[in-house]
Formats: sequence, structure tokens, C-alpha cells
Amino acid sequence: MTTSFFANRSLEIITLVAILLFITLFLITSFGGEHEFRGTDDLGSELVAELTGMTVDEYDPLIPQYEPPSKEIEALLFALQASFGALLLGLIFGYWLGQRKTES
Amino acid sequence: MHIMEGFLPWEWCLVWWIISTPFLYLGIIGLQNVMKDNREFLPLLGVCGAFIFILSALKLPSVSGSSSHPTGTGLSTICFGVFVTSIIASIVLLFQALLLAHGGLSVLGANIFSMAIAGPLVAYGVYTSLKNTSISIYITVFLTCATADLTTYIITSLQLALAYPAMVGGILSSFIAFLSIFAVTQLPLAIVEGCILALVFKYIMQLKPEMLIKLKVFSEKKIQEATSLEGSF
Repeated sequence: MTTSFFANRSLEIITLVAILLFITLFLITSFGGEHEFRGTDDLGSELVAELTGMTVDEYDPLIPQYEPPSKEIEALLFALQASFGALLLGLIFGYWLGQRKTES
Repeated sequence: MHIMEGFLPWEWCLVWWIISTPFLYLGIIGLQNVMKDNREFLPLLGVCGAFIFILSALKLPSVSGSSSHPTGTGLSTICFGVFVTSIIASIVLLFQALLLAHGGLSVLGANIFSMAIAGPLVAYGVYTSLKNTSISIYITVFLTCATADLTTYIITSLQLALAYPAMVGGILSSFIAFLSIFAVTQLPLAIVEGCILALVFKYIMQLKPEMLIKLKVFSEKKIQEATSLEGSF
């Protein structure tokens, strides 16, 4: 069992290389010029405004909505979302690994 | 891929809500089926859902100089199909619409269609056409997940283009303009997402092959080959 778990790591290496390549590209881009790395959601909204000849501020929500009061609060909520997922993930994989141990 | 609240005319909001509703209905039935009759699959459902939660919370910078979310819907599409996936992804979208002002309630139908339905649907097509071929499981998972991610953004571009055709060149030219914002940013993200989810699938396959065989995700033979053969990947 343990051999098949540790013997073969090429997929890990490929993933690692992909992530490193991604980081490299990010660094090249960010040092290669003025980039704000803004969200594509906002860029999309701006293009809509450009196409209709209005400004982004002229678009009002059709249904009133809650907006996080600051970027920090927004970051908090996103972090909570991710940590909820990570918690669930750790719990289940831990459960499976434990199950496997008791089986063998 | 979020269309922001107010940025889609109400007619289009309605259209996408109407198109999305049947999928959500079937999704709820599918989910009830797992909850009631197949509780043994709940942990796997949890893992698939967890990845949608994690990946769609991350706004990653990309080569185009802007940032965007991965979607994470591919894994769930492979294990549970389009309908169940549509519910999990919709929960995330609802959370983001209600608390984060990413998207909103009126455009939720459109956002559900792109991320929770169209992405998984096209990805499911890729998956079914590859699952019984000699192509490696990992490449299948990679392509499926990357497709789910990328399709979502292509559909968002299409939704905006349909609602806002350009003065010159109409829908096509504004489709290309939206694509240049969304798809270019998304391509590297989709590739990384595909790699990560393929890796996750490898771990699921090593820990719970019997679950994947029972769900007929891949044939028993293929899963046995992948978990026993060394050096193939």
C-alpha cells in the first residue's frame, strides 16, 4: 500500500511546475509594467459602461444589496469562505486516512 | 465571472433565471437522492463542494494584469454530474451575492447559468467523451476541470455580449471584447486549476477507489491500472 502511495510523484511535480510557472509569469507581468491586477468582474462592468456610453456609477442595483463596508471586510468574508472549504477538506481526508489505517 | 448587480437589464436577468431553474430543480432531486439513499457518498460530495468553496474564494492575479476567480466545479461534475454540481456552485454564488456584493440577486440566474450550469455541462461533455478511451484518467480530469473553468468565462462574455451588442460589429464584436477581458485572464488559471484538481483526484482514487468505482466515475479496470501502475503518470 505504502509503495503505491509514495512511489509515483510525477503528477505532483507537474502541478508544482505549473504553479511555479504561474508565479513566474505573474512576477514578469507585475515587474514588466503598470498593472493594477484588478478584478475582471469590475473590468467587465467598465466595458459594459463603455459600450452603453454611461459611467459605472450610473448603474444601480436592481435589487438592493449588502456591500462589505471595506476591502478588509470583503477579504475577511472571502477568507471565511475558503477556510470553511479547507476545514471540510481536512476533515474528510483525515477521516479517510484514519479509516484506511484501521482497515489495514 | 460575476456579472455585477445592476449590470444586466431585467429582461436578461429573467431569461437566465428561467433557463437556470430546471437545472436547479433537477439538482435538488439529485442532491436529495445522495442525502437519502447514498449517504456513503456524502464525504466525497463534501470534498467536491470544499474545492468549489476554496477555489472560488481565491482571486488570483494573471498574466493579463488583472485578477480572477477559478471555479473548481470540474471535480464535482466528474463525480456527481451537472445537476448536483449546479446546486453546490449556486450556494457559493448566493453567499457571494448576499454578503460580498459579487454578483447580486437579480443577476444570480445569469451567474448560476455560467458557473454552475454551462461550465459543468460542457465539462461533462469532455469527460464523457474521454472516460472510456485509452486517455489517462489524469489527463481526462485535467481537461474536464480546465474546460469547466474556461467555459464559465466564455459564457459570461456571451451573456454580456448578448445584452450589450457593440454599435459597430454587434454581438460578435462585443463578445470578442468581453472575451479579451475574461478568457485571456482565465486561461492560465484554468490550467493551474486543472493540474490541482487532477492531483486531488489522484488522492481520492488512492484513498477511496471503491467509491469512484461504485459511482462509475471511471471503469474499475482503469482505476485499478492507475492506482497500481507506476510510472504511467
